[in-house]
Amino acid sequence: MEFKDLDPILHSQLRLAIVSLLISVKEAEFTFIKEKTNATAGNLSVQLNKLKEVEYVEITKQFKYNYPQTLCKITRKGIDAFEQYVNALQSYMRPG
Amino acid sequence: MNQQLNERESLALIESMINKAKNNFSESGTLFLVWGFVILICSVLHFVTTCFFDYENGGYVWGLTWLATIFQIFYLRKKVRKQKVKSYSDDIIKYIWITFFVVMVIMVFILIWQKSYISIIPAILVLYGIPTLFTGLLFKFRPLVIGGICCWLLALACTFTHWHFQLLYIGAAGIAAWIIPGIYLRKKFIKENQQYGR
Repeated sequence: MEFKDLDPILHSQLRLAIVSLLISVKEAEFTFIKEKTNATAGNLSVQLNKLKEVEYVEITKQFKYNYPQTLCKITRKGIDAFEQYVNALQSYMRPG
Repeated sequence: MNQQLNERESLALIESMINKAKNNFSESGTLFLVWGFVILICSVLHFVTTCFFDYENGGYVWGLTWLATIFQIFYLRKKVRKQKVKSYSDDIIKYIWITFFVVMVIMVFILIWQKSYISIIPAILVLYGIPTLFTGLLFKFRPLVIGGICCWLLALACTFTHWHFQLLYIGAAGIAAWIIPGIYLRKKFIKENQQYGR
């Protein structure tokens, strides 16, 4: 049985949580991801930047009704990486 | 929350996050209830004033829909302000309802221009059935699917009914496609709020 390597970027709890959230939506605010992952703002910011560096996530900073807003969106590369990661996980889980 | 996971934990985390994103989409039903009651009140008042009091200007009661429109604008602005996440289905629903609104305005204009007043109510009901059914199918929400089909059946019934009674059919559509789905949505919203502590 052939085992596929798991993407080290996604194989971390918070980064996987972020990508799993973003895969289900078009875009989400930083505060939404923070609320759903129960992460601290600092840690979330660091992990989001790592995902941005590998171009899995797009981050847009803008103003909404005079308040700063950080929007996060998964990229095509991020979707492909997530799909490969899930396929790899499934190959590990398959019996035999 | 930076630790490495085993395969089972990874899959469980993915599932839980997807569920958290999914559970975020809930509609309070407020707009459905407001529009449902406004449509019901207008149709009954128009029917009563026309049939029992021979009042020719009973149609002015539909001016109440402007109040509902103003409420909707403020309500949606407030909702957008609070919105932290945007889903793909939000966009689809938004565009289909905008399309419905534009088509309805054009259709009503054409029918008034051609003096086909008797066709206005069935045309509105046929058109309203489309986004209602589509929204119900997209969100797998049966009351809206049934509401959409009811609109089409009521439109067909209009063909065989005197114009005065068509007014009551609009009210019936208000109950089937707005009020009943609105009550279900409200109950679901309250239940989810308690469950997820929103």
